[in-house]
Amino acid sequence: MAQENTQSIALDGSTDSKVAGHFKRNRFAYMFGAIVIAAGTAIRIYLDTMGFSVGTDYYSEEFQKYWMPVLYGEIIFLSSFTVILSTYLWMTRETDASSISKELELQRYWKLLGIFTVMGIWAGCVASNAVESDAAWHQVTIRDTDFTPTHIVIFYFALPFLTAMLIPAFIWTHTRIPAYMNKISLPFLAVVCGILMIMPNYGFNEWGHTFFYAEELFAAPIHWGFVFLGWSLFFLVPLAMQLIGNMARLIAEATDEEAGQSA
Amino acid sequence: MSEVQANGLTEAETKGRALDLRSLDNPKAMKLYRRFDGIIILVLFMFLVLGVQIQFTLTAGDWDYWIDWRDRRWWPLVAPFSLLLFIAPFTYGIWYRVRLPILATAITTLLCLVSWLSRYLNFYEFTHFPLSFTFPSTYIGLGILLDCALAISRSLIVSTVIGGGLFGALVYPINWSFMAPYKVPVEFNGMLMSVADLMGYQYIRTTTPEYLRIIEESTLRTFGGSVTPLTAVFAGLCGIVIYALFLWVGSWVNGLDKFTKRII
Repeated sequence: MAQENTQSIALDGSTDSKVAGHFKRNRFAYMFGAIVIAAGTAIRIYLDTMGFSVGTDYYSEEFQKYWMPVLYGEIIFLSSFTVILSTYLWMTRETDASSISKELELQRYWKLLGIFTVMGIWAGCVASNAVESDAAWHQVTIRDTDFTPTHIVIFYFALPFLTAMLIPAFIWTHTRIPAYMNKISLPFLAVVCGILMIMPNYGFNEWGHTFFYAEELFAAPIHWGFVFLGWSLFFLVPLAMQLIGNMARLIAEATDEEAGQSA
Repeated sequence: MSEVQANGLTEAETKGRALDLRSLDNPKAMKLYRRFDGIIILVLFMFLVLGVQIQFTLTAGDWDYWIDWRDRRWWPLVAPFSLLLFIAPFTYGIWYRVRLPILATAITTLLCLVSWLSRYLNFYEFTHFPLSFTFPSTYIGLGILLDCALAISRSLIVSTVIGGGLFGALVYPINWSFMAPYKVPVEFNGMLMSVADLMGYQYIRTTTPEYLRIIEESTLRTFGGSVTPLTAVFAGLCGIVIYALFLWVGSWVNGLDKFTKRII
């Protein structure tokens, strides 16, 4: 009986009304997606409001009062989020892949797509809000200091949050989905490592910034490390193909069995 | 080990193929496939937006932020170089796996959308530059040309030579209608300059020193009005070379569709 319920949810949620069933199947993506959009909007409004009014000089009292707590909060939140969630997912990992039914496996693939959807929403927010805010900032400020509001948002929240979601997603996938258990998906690893390595690359970027009183050229070589690491997204295609291959076969098997049962 | 049959497939593979074919007649399976395709496309496009924004803004951004930076020598060279480098590996993967010649159009369209949103939020709302000074260029037409070359020829080599070449060569003409009003000559304090240059003088930025170092450097002017077409030809050559090189990168990346042993 339990397996039948799982199967119906994995296939089409037929036990619920259409709207409720749709929400139930996709509630992770909707709820977590709404949370990340709200977080992105809030920090963007804070940047617009407090960026130029109290954020132009790291040595000022206002900066220490209004921007440094944001930085510390981001570091504490993102480190805790990544470490606690990753540890939890690892400690509660599945040990026997053969005990996972096809329906449950398919359900977990849908959940993985939900996780990727949330990360995709965040990637879109970063692209449209964060990346060029730093370019615009450095065009109108006449000196650079140790920390700037746009760097606090991009380098210590926007991009690390993507990493903070990717690492647990990587662990979840490799400990919950049979096709990925007891081995490592190379394209998935390449995407995670590439985005993760953007953070050590801050060192190169900030070192370069010490040479300039202002940004001058956004296409400067000190930024090319980010470009090179961004190329890790090339691996999304082989990763998508892995998922497509596995899911297509699972859907075919699950629906074929269901059609066979009803015939 | 499964026994290989006369058609070169194992028994399990033959059964799998039959199952796949049966699922195409199953409405429930098709509904799930469509939902699945929709999510994958959404996710891939959102990550493409981030990827192309990072790639383009950090390698050719300055030329795209300001109308006075869109010069005759560097912008038509740097912009297609940066874009083709990003487009090629994705085009290879999607063409090789699912035979869809759409990635160049998709990436250039996504870049256009995210650039408009970003310029409005960051350059207009955040730092108060006028949109008429910071609007993005368009590369969608170039993406369509590149995809058409692939769709018609069905050959990555032909599309590299024709599509890559056209992508590099046509940056200036495809943006000409947007830029024409800014190239009108004006006299300011006894000096002849373009409307774009005048706007640049009015909005002093920290890139102003670089503008003086990079844009329209040198004074001999021996090539007069031929600079733009000559740059176009060189950009076409660069387009072919960089597109070919990164198609090769794409073939390498897509060959890594593998699993490795777990470390722990």
